Amino acid sequence: MLLLGIDVGGTHTDAVAAGEDGIKARVKVATVHENLLSSIQNALEAITAEVDPGLIQQLNLSTTLSTNSIVEGKVEDVGMIVSAGPGIDPYSVMPCKNYHVIPGAVDHRGTETSPIDSNALKAAVDSCVADGIKVFASVSKFSPRNPSHEKTMQLALNGKADFITLGHKLTGRLNFPRRIATAYYNCAVWRIFNNFADAVSGTLEKTGLGHVKVNILKADGGTMPFQLSRDLPVQSIFSGPAASVMGIIALCDITQDSIIYDVGGTTTDIAIFVSGAPLIERDGIHIGSYPTLVRALKVRSIGIGGDSAVSLQSGTVRVGPNRLGPSMAFDGNHPTLTDALIWKGSCHCGSIEKSKKGFADFAAKNNISPDELAEKAINTAVGTIHDETRQLVDEINQQPVYTIHELLENRRIVPRKIYMMGGPAEALKDSIFQKFQLSTEVPPNYDVANAVGAALTRTTTDIELFADTEKGVMFIPSLGYRENIPRGYKLHDAEKDAMSHLLSHLGDLNIASAGENAEITASSSFNMINGYSTVGRNIRVKCQIKPGVVRTYS
Amino acid sequence: MLKAKNSLGMIFFPAFDWAISPTHPEREERLLYTQDQLLEEGIFDIEGIQEYKPAVATTEDVERVHFCFPDVDSIVTRSHYISAGGAIKAAQIVMEGEKQRAFAMVRPPGHHAMKTVLGSRGFCTINIEAIMCEYIRKMYGPKRIAIVDTDCHHGDGTQDVYWHDPDTLYISMHQDGRTLFPGTGFPQECGGPKALGRTINIPLPPGTSDTGFMMVMERVVMPILEDFKPDLIINSAGQDNHFTDPITNMNFSAQGYAALNTMLNPDIAVLEGGYSIQGALPYVNLGISMAMAGLDYSHVREPDFNPESLKESQDILNYISSLCDAIPDIYFNPPEKTSDGVVKDGWSVRHKNIFYDTGGFSESQTESLYLCDDCRGILKVETGKQSGPRGLGVEIPRNACKHCRDLALKIVEEAQNKSSNRYVQLINRQDEEYIRYGF
Ligand SMILES: [Zn+2]
Ligand SMILES: [Zn+2]
Ligand SMILES: [Zn+2]
Repeated sequence: MLLLGIDVGGTHTDAVAAGEDGIKARVKVATVHENLLSSIQNALEAITAEVDPGLIQQLNLSTTLSTNSIVEGKVEDVGMIVSAGPGIDPYSVMPCKNYHVIPGAVDHRGTETSPIDSNALKAAVDSCVADGIKVFASVSKFSPRNPSHEKTMQLALNGKADFITLGHKLTGRLNFPRRIATAYYNCAVWRIFNNFADAVSGTLEKTGLGHVKVNILKADGGTMPFQLSRDLPVQSIFSGPAASVMGIIALCDITQDSIIYDVGGTTTDIAIFVSGAPLIERDGIHIGSYPTLVRALKVRSIGIGGDSAVSLQSGTVRVGPNRLGPSMAFDGNHPTLTDALIWKGSCHCGSIEKSKKGFADFAAKNNISPDELAEKAINTAVGTIHDETRQLVDEINQQPVYTIHELLENRRIVPRKIYMMGGPAEALKDSIFQKFQLSTEVPPNYDVANAVGAALTRTTTDIELFADTEKGVMFIPSLGYRENIPRGYKLHDAEKDAMSHLLSHLGDLNIASAGENAEITASSSFNMINGYSTVGRNIRVKCQIKPGVVRTYS
Repeated sequence: MLKAKNSLGMIFFPAFDWAISPTHPEREERLLYTQDQLLEEGIFDIEGIQEYKPAVATTEDVERVHFCFPDVDSIVTRSHYISAGGAIKAAQIVMEGEKQRAFAMVRPPGHHAMKTVLGSRGFCTINIEAIMCEYIRKMYGPKRIAIVDTDCHHGDGTQDVYWHDPDTLYISMHQDGRTLFPGTGFPQECGGPKALGRTINIPLPPGTSDTGFMMVMERVVMPILEDFKPDLIINSAGQDNHFTDPITNMNFSAQGYAALNTMLNPDIAVLEGGYSIQGALPYVNLGISMAMAGLDYSHVREPDFNPESLKESQDILNYISSLCDAIPDIYFNPPEKTSDGVVKDGWSVRHKNIFYDTGGFSESQTESLYLCDDCRGILKVETGKQSGPRGLGVEIPRNACKHCRDLALKIVEEAQNKSSNRYVQLINRQDEEYIRYGF
């Protein structure tokens, strides 16, 4: 039985076939930017030349398709129908032209305080249809507490849309502007993602892999089933860094507070582990100028990589953040961090001779010894990485908490170990160790850690449950589930219900779920008082299948 | 995306695991819906607005302000240390220039906590604004500070703490004490002998709405502030003037609170009361946050907001107008004598009986200010629960003259040797020394 992982990156598409006891095959092919499908095809062909396709059970795919479409603006026009009610001006978070705010309001407890204006709704739909819009997002304020306005908007679109995103189906977490942006992006990339998904299915058939179960990687360090990804393509954005982080988990035995570096050509991604588990972004990832509700591992990207240009400005040696072409070792004409590492003898790639000559010439031109230049360049790069890491850890330690218990417990992150991967990882390892004085490890197969991560990442999902015993309802917004509950419903009942819905949701998705990976991440119950008597309880429970890998090779 | 015109730091600390009792109005649920509203509005995503974790106040931060008997730790709970710490964090953010403004949305509140603390009063135990102000003065030097209290209840605690301090202007607008707890806050209460006109009370009739509040702001509060020229303006931002508040009788709205805040333009706001946790707090707190950040708050409205039905009668407006005519004079031409106290052997002495509604006991207290021509004078408080052990508190102000400083130290020394006081506490602001004796 083999698990396949493919990570379509900016330069390379990496693929590995992972077996019970190790990596059976690994390939790197160039990414064809204009045709991601062909990159996947090439990777699949190369892999199936090395292993028996019949043994491949599952393919986990991480692709930049949705991200690229958004970044390059190759997206479809979306009709956004929004019900906001009182609060911040809803036009301040307008992500697109066909944006219609319909009068109507739901409050923080999910009570409708003003019905949807059906005339305005009809006019909005007609105007979008007249503009040739085929994909729609329906988002109302507090829809995770009561989705009725979103459903009314959906009804009005009946027969007029190829696809509709309902805000409350994205997540149960609150944040109206982020919900708007997330729903917008989900619609904007829906068609391009589904066309791609069709093509991937076709390719698998042709490569003799029709039997393989496909999952798409998400930014939170988990996967989602192919079928689900067709409705939630926005969840596939920025899954690249997550693949690398999950790869490190698979390749190393991480148990402590740790720092993870993925050193690339132009950037270094920093991730932080707390007691061996990767940290998740509190709210969600930013795409372009909009923050979203897409869950993601906390990864900070800084402008230092192997290809970062080394330069001198009034006597000060700088590294990055710009890239002035490839390293001199690879026929570039400006020295890079990689060239500095080659000069110091800690890196062996490309043409060593060309690199050393070019580096020495550049140093001479700038009246500095090549030794000093290389040393200063490496120190500067490592210094920047160090400072940014410190800042990130401080920021995380400063994050607000909401209970006395959490505040006084004051769990501060204190990194004890560093793990590195990516091209220049090995070459930078000693300098990083010198700077941090923390045990620094570069695992074998570090250069395809991303594909290993993709291959071994498990399916994750998370849900939020709300119960309001005064109203006698319990609901799980993202599952569209709602049920009446008795007045005596307690936190304990809610926790049990949340877990069983989480697991049965996975069952519906045909995922043989390991219940031991399910966990409750937040759970609270508030007495609701009217006058001086308790009228009910407001209960909130969050649970998730925690991000992780199916097996490790550490 | 939105960008704040004024950068704003927000300390949101709902203390979700603390309550006085399960059905007390000041309870865990109090900021729950506010948090939901702020999160749903995405307020922390606005450029220039940032959320901060509260600091935790130290015992010394409390001892710098209060005489706590028998001692701080036997009265003050963790939640109070954190809510005072939230206010301190707000001060740090602004004083260090990290943000232009800060709003500490913390609980429990503090403005009923007086100079002497034997227990809890009106949901307050320690005065978080005063603790913040004295923290500011210690860390960032002497400052002229104006505290404008817009809570519906008279801030009798803050008034008491600053009664003798001419460098702190305390203005409280509140529902008339003849109709609401704590029953004080009348115009003639205007400061001790060394700080006459530095306490300004504006009692408003029940039913006052946006027009009445804004009239007071324009005609009383703003002209006085303009003259006082404070280094810092603090808003004790109680939200219980709201028309839906269950324990008061006013008709103020979220729009009104936001407009008031825009006019007041405070450097720091600290949340005080406000018990309409579903119908008011989410909207008022959002409105104030947006006003502080200089953002358009015109869409912030309560679901059942009907300005016509909330409008005060002409009679009420006429009455408020007459207050607006009379009250500024108290600041500009303060009376010669304090309303409260008699002069005895060079000391201005007043007796107080303070009822602790939460604890259900009374404190009897004799407070004396030494009338010195060279400095502000030292403060001496003899106090105790009725028929309980007595405590003595002595405070040396920062700018005390040598004579007063020596006198204060002598009083403390004598009290240790031979007095009926079981506890003695010294607040020595000059040498930053906070000492207590007795057990
Ligand atoms: Zn007041
Ligand atoms: Zn109050
Ligand atoms: Zn003196």
